[in-house]
Order: sequence, then C-alpha cells, then structure tokens
Amino acid sequence: MNLGNDPFLKLSNTIINPYITKWQAEGNKVLGHYCTYIPEELLFAAKLLPYRIRSTGHEDTDLGDTYMVRFTCSFVRATLDMALRGMYDFLDGLVICNSCDHSRRMFELFDMKVFNREDFKKEVPRFYLAMPHILTEEGFNWYYEEIKELKNELDQTYSGSSNQISDESLINSIKIYNKNRDMLKKIHELRIQNVPKLNGTEALQISMSNSSIPKNLANKELKRIYEFLKESEGIKTESKRIMLVGSELDNLFFTKIIENSGAIIVSDFLCFGTRYFTDNVDLENSKNPLKSLSKRLYYRLSCPRMMDDHDRRLNFIKEEIRKAKIDGIILQRINNCDLHGCDNMLFVHELKELNIPVINIDREHFQSDTTRLQTRIEAFVEMIK
Amino acid sequence: MNINLGDNNMVNPVENENKIIPYKMLLQAVSSTQELVERILPESGIPSLRIGLKDIKKVLEKYIEKAREGAPVIGYHFAFPADYLSCFDCVPICLEGTGYFLGTLLLNGIENYYDSMGNWGHPFHTCTAQKGVMGMSLDDLFRFDAIITPTAPCDSTCASYPFFRHHIGVPLIIADLPFLREEKSYKYYAEQIKISLNKLGKTIGQEPQYERLRKGIAIENQVLHTKLELFDLIKSEPSPIENMFNPVSAATSIITSGTQENLHFYEEMLNIAKKRYKNGFHHGREERIRSIWPYMLTFFDISLCEWLDRELGMSILFDIFNYNFFDPIDTSSDLETLFYGMAKKGMSWPMIKQSTDFYYPFIDDCLKMAKEFKADCFIYTQSLACKQFGSIPKILREALMDELGIPTLIIEFDVGDARMTSLKMFKEKISLFAQTLL
Repeated sequence: MNLGNDPFLKLSNTIINPYITKWQAEGNKVLGHYCTYIPEELLFAAKLLPYRIRSTGHEDTDLGDTYMVRFTCSFVRATLDMALRGMYDFLDGLVICNSCDHSRRMFELFDMKVFNREDFKKEVPRFYLAMPHILTEEGFNWYYEEIKELKNELDQTYSGSSNQISDESLINSIKIYNKNRDMLKKIHELRIQNVPKLNGTEALQISMSNSSIPKNLANKELKRIYEFLKESEGIKTESKRIMLVGSELDNLFFTKIIENSGAIIVSDFLCFGTRYFTDNVDLENSKNPLKSLSKRLYYRLSCPRMMDDHDRRLNFIKEEIRKAKIDGIILQRINNCDLHGCDNMLFVHELKELNIPVINIDREHFQSDTTRLQTRIEAFVEMIK
Repeated sequence: MNINLGDNNMVNPVENENKIIPYKMLLQAVSSTQELVERILPESGIPSLRIGLKDIKKVLEKYIEKAREGAPVIGYHFAFPADYLSCFDCVPICLEGTGYFLGTLLLNGIENYYDSMGNWGHPFHTCTAQKGVMGMSLDDLFRFDAIITPTAPCDSTCASYPFFRHHIGVPLIIADLPFLREEKSYKYYAEQIKISLNKLGKTIGQEPQYERLRKGIAIENQVLHTKLELFDLIKSEPSPIENMFNPVSAATSIITSGTQENLHFYEEMLNIAKKRYKNGFHHGREERIRSIWPYMLTFFDISLCEWLDRELGMSILFDIFNYNFFDPIDTSSDLETLFYGMAKKGMSWPMIKQSTDFYYPFIDDCLKMAKEFKADCFIYTQSLACKQFGSIPKILREALMDELGIPTLIIEFDVGDARMTSLKMFKEKISLFAQTLL
C-alpha cells in the first residue's frame, strides 16, 4: 500500500466529502471555523461537526477581492471567494474568533455577503468567540466565560433549550479528541525518527483530512495509518531534515517544492501540525470538563496571536530541533500576515544564535511565484552542510 | 556635567537626554517649522498649525527637561492615552506619534528607519507607525525604561511590540484590550489598566499617584467638552476649520494629552471657529466639496490638507483621529469608577472603537455622520498595515451609495511612507474624483 494513494489522505484534496454528506443526511449539522482556538470538543458534544475552513486547491480570489483589499491574507480571501461561489453552502453554522485581523472579519462578511446572497435561502447561525491576547489568570477567566456563553448559545440555537450539552457528552467528546491528538502525536513520532516513516506532505494531508470528518471516524483511520506506517520501511534518504514554521498551510504545492528540493519536512510548527495536537485536555485533575477544555485551549502551544508567549514558542522549536535532528529551519508566512511575519523576524535572529541554518520566506496561499520559491529553497538546502 | 541631587544620586543630564534623541530631533523639527510658520505665513494663516506647533513645542521642551533630570522614559502606544500616565513622574513618549510626527516634519521623512527595520526582518506589510521607532531603537537612539501598550487595535501592534522586549530588552507591559464594546469588556479592561499601571510603577520604581492621574484626566474631560462644541460648528457650511486642523489635532491629542497645552489648543481653535462661523469664512475662500475621511490622512506629507483647501475647495470635515468622543470620566468618585471610565474611553479611542466592534456600528456611524455633516463624499484611505479594516472600505462604499447616494474614493497607501502612494498620486486621484462631484 502506498500512503500517497490512501483514500483517507485523498480527502485533503476536497472540501466537501462523503463523511460530511452522510453526517448531514443523518440529520446532523456542520459548523465551519477558521482556527484551532475553537473548542471543537464542545461542538462535537452537541452533535455538531466542526469543519475547519480551507482553501485547498482554490486558485482564485477575484470574488473575494471585491470585498477584501489586496493587503489582506490571500488564504482568507480565497475562502471568501469560495464561499461567494457557493462552495461553503453546506455549512449549517459558523464560529469565528478573533484569531487574526483577516479571519475575524469573516463574521461580518459571511453575514452581509455570503449568507445574504439572493440565491441562498438557508438560515446559518453565527457565533463569535473573543480570545484574550495575553496569558494571565484574568485572561483565562474571560476566555472560560466566553466558552460558557458559547455553550449556552449552541444549546439554545440547535436544541432550543439550555444544558443539552451534558458533562457526560462533553467528557466523551473530549476523550475522542484526546485520542485523536494522541494518534496524531504517535504518527508525528514516526515522522521525526532517523528514518522517517512519512514525509511532510503526507503529514499535512493526514492533518487536513483529519480536520474534515467526525473525529470518532478519523481515529479509526489514524490508527490504521499508524499501524501501516509503523510496519513500513520508512524513507531512507540523505535529504536534509527540515522543520517548517509559520502561517496557515493547506496547499500541498509548498511542501512539495521543499520536498522536491532535496529536503524532507520531519517536523513543523504549524496550525495544521504540531500546534494542533501537542497539548491534551486534562480530565483527571478536574471535575469540570468545560473548564478543563478551556484551560487546554487557552494555555496550549500558542500561535503568535498570543502576544506575550514568544519565548514558549521559541523553546518548542528549539526542543523540536533537538528531538527531530533538524538540519535547517524554513520560516514562512503568507504575505500580509503580520503575526507570523514578526514572530519569524525574531526567530531568524534567535535561531541563528544556535548556528542552525534558517531561511525566512513569504508566499501566497496558492501556487504562485513558484520559480522564486524553488530557487530560494533549493539554494537554502544546498547551503546546509 | 553631573548634577548632584543631594541624595548622593548623580544625574548626568546629557546622558539622560541621549535616551531620547529622536524626541530632541522632533523638538528641533517643530521649532524650525514653527519659526517658518511665524515668519512666512500671514498672521491669520493656518492657525491650527501655528497654535498647535507652539503648544506641542512647550510640551516637548518640558519632557526633554524631565528626561535631563533623570525621569524614567516610558514609551506608550497611541491607544493608551498619555493622560493615563500622568500618575507617574515620567517622560511619556508615544511610539506612533513620534515616528509619524517626525516623518511629517522632516524633509526626507524617516524612511531610513523604516528601511533599517525592514532589513532587520520586519515585514514590509507591517505598520510604519511602529516601524519608525523600532528602527530608531535598533540604532540605540531611544532607550526606554519601559513600554506600555494595549493588545489592540491590530495584528501589527500585537506582532511588533514584542520586538522591544525580546530584542531591545525593554520591559513591555501589556494591557489586554478585549473584543466587543460592552459592559463586561469595560470591566475587564478597567482591571487590565489598573494592573498594568501597577506593573509599570513597579518597573520604574514609583507608586502611581492617583491624584495626579485625576488631574490629567480632568483636563481631557475639558478638552472633550471643547471638541464637542467645535464639532458642532464643523457641521455648518462652510466648515470653519481648515483641513490642517486634522493632522495637528491628531498630534496634539496623542502627544500632549493630559496637559494644559492640549486644552489651550482646542480652546483657541474653538474661538477661531466661532469667529469664522459668524463671518461665513472658509480657509480656502470657497468650500466646494465637503469630504469625510473615515480613516487616516497622509501623515507622510500633510501639505495635502492645504492643497485640498486651496486648490479644490475641499474641506476635510474630520478623519478617524478627530471624530473621537467618549463619556467624560468621573474623576471625583472612587478609583474603581475612575478605571471604569478610563476603560470606556480607551475603548472609544480612534481605531480601538472600530476594531473592538463589528462593522455594523461603524457603517451606521458613517451614514449618520454623512447626513449630520452634510458630506458630499467620503475618501477612504486604506493603509497597508491596517488589516483590521481591510474588508470594510468596499462594503462602506456600497452602503454610502445605496443609502445616501454619496460616492467614496478608496485610495490604498501607507500612511507613513510616501513611496507606496505618493502625494502626486493622491492629488491626481482626488482631482479626478472631484471632477465627478462638481
């Protein structure tokens, strides 16, 4: 069996998939979201399928450009473009949080321009989650209250009464998600080995597919893939071992450019990667599953939207360099992403002190400027001793 | 030269002054511009510039003297109003205000500092408001004792400020400013302000003096009252305020907030507006177009204001930095009430107000203001760094046209860097747009 042809991985190339169709045919709802700070476990406990909005394979932004200026993120613009073309009409709800200035405004744009299209008749509820930008006790209390409010709103909207999401259903959901993250972690362990069992493109595909189907089913698929990979020979290669860091990435062209340039991505610091699965919800030391869930989300390995947590992110990268025997770091950002742009700026200088080769590049979410990227990446890989 | 303060602390005024070299540059730039204004312009010419520069100069001199005496240098984000720092004996320096004001007054701007920061890795699409002072700090021209900032209004703020902590080594105090202007947010932000001021006090070795804070805030309450009266007059035709008032007012609000000089500026401008209102006087002789700039002006070259007045007869009724109103802060009650009022004001501050809310009230506000101020058009300047506003201009344009039949010109630019969209481009675009209006 070749992992590249695995039907589960192929889901990553699609937006809607048979699992979603079946889920909805059974009378269940699908809620779209943009960010890993959304409490997926809570949604799943309410029998709502959290679906991470992607722009995979979509090359156009022209409809999106009608409402977003060119200084905004091409990934978010592409998703808006897709939504305006009806490609996200299958969503039954939308949860937005203030992760970044680009995606947070999808709350209004979906309302005014996507769900308000003449030919679109479905009522799609929207929910907003306001996250603090720093890690403090007061910030946690704020966030916990936001999650409680979201729980009530979900209850009211989808079941018409409060307290439909019981502690028991939430605990079950958390267990499924913890297991999911454990499986992703185990697969990651196979990736960082001396002889990696999978490459970065495959890891990204697994993560994207995982974000698009119910997690109880995804867990079975991940277990199957894990068993397969564990027994496989692995990738015996002299390729340079790369860690990929930075902005949202849901297009395979970029990882392929890297992996076709004499490198293999054995680890990452991406929201479709380690940032998603590194931390679990602690159910053992608390009787309040909602609070435990909130704690995990708030204190998890952060993205640069958390203004005062740069040191922890740097330490994670340093530790991963050691564990995964990284030869070089590729820092990347989607153009106009200030958050990753500035975090990467600091990383460049901090990582150089470790004498590890680092390159910092900008890109668009879609395949563009390929020759420039390829030339720079090839030169970087050649430079690594 | 060292000065003995009598408690065995030797203060070196030159060394202290050199902690704020760009502020000294700013004072020189303000002084020479003021001199030119006084010598060249007729007595009644551009009063906002004449009065504003004089008041700003006084404040800069005062702060530089304080720096010489060894007072700690506190950098602050423009959205953390300077009057909130009046509880400390310090030299408050607005990062964004200093950079942009220097860029405005220096003939060649401050692009060299943008470039040195860009070379260091600061992405081209981040805000020049911070980039200038970041570049100056890289060159060791600023040596802050601490910096305080809220977590708003934009990604660029959240992304850029950590540079000061992680690379320059300046203690960075962050007040978390939550999303959505509502009661629970005001309470949360009030607590954040209180915690931050206490942290700042510990960092610089001072206890917050709340009586001083009340005094600084009370001055700003008076400024508010004066500004409200002034804006009522701006509703009249022709506008009794010249366009130059807008950038100068932005500078005074941000740099001299909490001082008598700030109040003096608005009181003088109100007196002038009253006289002009009585006489039906317009600075450009004839008001032909009334424009609202719901976002920012060209801080890299404010001569555009004068050109619009004189060449096109286009009044800028206000920009985002000037249509800035809030509930007066209760300075006579307990501290909790004071902090609550400060939080509410902080969340009504320009850009913060719009970024801590959904778009709906912003659009409603624009529609309402267009009617109240009898605007003929909107000019929306979309700055490169302002992603929090990156999806509003086109929606706003639709709303203004559909609801009121008012056209909007959208110009993409960098508010602090002429190299992206030059003044010439601005003039051409606005001239063509004006032709469609007249």
